[in-house]
Amino acid sequence: MNLFKISIANLLEKKLNSFLSALLLTLGIGMISLLLLLNKQLDEQFRRNLKGIDMVVGAKGSPLQVILSSIYQIDAPTGNIPLAEVNALRRNPFVKTVIPLSMGDNYHGFRIVGTTPKYVEHFNVKVAQGHMHNASMEVTIGSKVARQSQLKIGDEFSGSHGLDSEGEKHVEKKYKVTGIFEPSGTVVDQLIITRLSSVWDIHEHAEHAEENVAEVAHTELPGHADPEPDEEGKDVTSALIQFRNPMGLMTIPRQINENTSMQAALPSIEINRLFSLLGVGIETLRTLALIIISIAGVSVFISLYNSLKDRKYEMALMLSMGATRSRLFLMLLIEGLLLAVIGFFTGIIAARIGLWVFSKAAEEDFHYSLQKFAILPEEIYLFFGAIAIGAVAAALPSLGIYRLNISRTLAEE
Amino acid sequence: MISSSQLQFAYSPQKKFSFPDIQCNDKETLLILGQSGKGKTTLLHLLALLLTPESGEILISGKPVRNLSPREVTAVRARHIGIIYQRPHFVSSLSVLDNILLSNFLADQKEDRHKVKHLAAQLGFSDHLAKKPSRLSQGEQQRVSIARALMNNPSVILADEPTSNLDDDNCHRVIGLLKNQSASIGASLVVVTHDQRLKDEFPNQVFL
Repeated sequence: MNLFKISIANLLEKKLNSFLSALLLTLGIGMISLLLLLNKQLDEQFRRNLKGIDMVVGAKGSPLQVILSSIYQIDAPTGNIPLAEVNALRRNPFVKTVIPLSMGDNYHGFRIVGTTPKYVEHFNVKVAQGHMHNASMEVTIGSKVARQSQLKIGDEFSGSHGLDSEGEKHVEKKYKVTGIFEPSGTVVDQLIITRLSSVWDIHEHAEHAEENVAEVAHTELPGHADPEPDEEGKDVTSALIQFRNPMGLMTIPRQINENTSMQAALPSIEINRLFSLLGVGIETLRTLALIIISIAGVSVFISLYNSLKDRKYEMALMLSMGATRSRLFLMLLIEGLLLAVIGFFTGIIAARIGLWVFSKAAEEDFHYSLQKFAILPEEIYLFFGAIAIGAVAAALPSLGIYRLNISRTLAEE
Repeated sequence: MISSSQLQFAYSPQKKFSFPDIQCNDKETLLILGQSGKGKTTLLHLLALLLTPESGEILISGKPVRNLSPREVTAVRARHIGIIYQRPHFVSSLSVLDNILLSNFLADQKEDRHKVKHLAAQLGFSDHLAKKPSRLSQGEQQRVSIARALMNNPSVILADEPTSNLDDDNCHRVIGLLKNQSASIGASLVVVTHDQRLKDEFPNQVFL
């Protein structure tokens, strides 16, 4: 026999009350924990893919859309821009690298991105199997694409037009897998990477479907090994730009917006804007979670207060049998603390389940996965917060123990 | 052994009680009879050290309890006094077994499960040890509370109207058990009641 055993028996005696209190705590803690997890992982994913990219140029439209489509591959691109204008940027002394991107096709929802070798270098991703594509219509696929689409080296597949898998298929020309990237935790994991020329080939072919195949094959010039393609009259979707020094940030975006058909979008600004938009929602949910936790505290308070009223005689009895008031106070405190601990752990587990469900959805829609279930440092504070709420909610009604008149209570009934 | 002399207690200036002196030696029994309102429960609570008298002296096992600190009073009550209440009350969330063991636990004594089983067999509720007390009948509950009062081998057993809610059969059974058990541990048994059925059971009687 010990105080814990009595406390647990008391909680089980009032199953529904205990359940309600623990449930409310679970909800509140779970919501906060889930928000913390999502916030941290979204932040990580966004920052990791952002690293080193100072500016994105794309067709005029929403700058946020340009960023989302070009860096994170989650929104539709705004349109096309002439490759000549992109290449003109290379001549600017402030510009360090220009990585053109061309997208518009997918395979089972995984985007096929035409780009230069600089793109892969930028994310510092190595080829795990096979070798990097080095001719038109050859592709290297991301680790997640390989895992989910079951594509292997040497496999051929035809892409579908558009960015979701329902698009019309380009059956005439097939891509060939030559390599698979190692998992990197970046956007490359979910992409099929090929040369810019592949994307042009596919679409010229589609546009001139009636022309004979020989002519199409003719466009595949040996000169394609050139890492900086400069074809006149070609379009790309967007380009990722790195500056040599921060001065570029001051002048180039304005020049581009004023003097070219393209628009410049700055990831740092757009992502901060996105987060402040999301922030309103997150703030609301966090407030809601805090309200739920407070209600949980009140619920613990009320259920202990009521059960103490019912158990007044029991308390007087235990006092008459030799219990000290502090001992009974501790017993009641343990009841509150047990509820808090139960609420905390079920909340933390619920948040992980929530994250897992959310991650499934995010993976289906955007191919991003958010699978990190470790305890966050903030959750340790949350633990102490829950303990404090349980302790206060239990202590307030339990102080009545110190005022209980044993003789009168025993004589009353 | 328990004795008292010139006990007085007042709930308010209008509601004052003066009690006759009481003496009950080890292995003896004493019946305190009185109509309601005469302060039977007050006297029992005074003897049980649940109330402090205005004046007068109480000796338990020959030792005065007047100048003990509240903590010492609690310890004396836990170790030396077993109390049986009019209505048997229990910690409702615990089983019968745990309710009886609670006596040992709260008096900081070793939990003696063997003794519980022994008492349960003697008092006739061996089958009910795992049940919640609320599932037992009144007579059974009263027998459980006798077992609870005996757990720490007290030198004094105080019973407040132990039979008033029981029918004749249970009344005689409970009183018989109470007398046997307290005699077997050599305790003084003091019963406070208005129950006239008990008159013939006790040689020593005090009227309030």
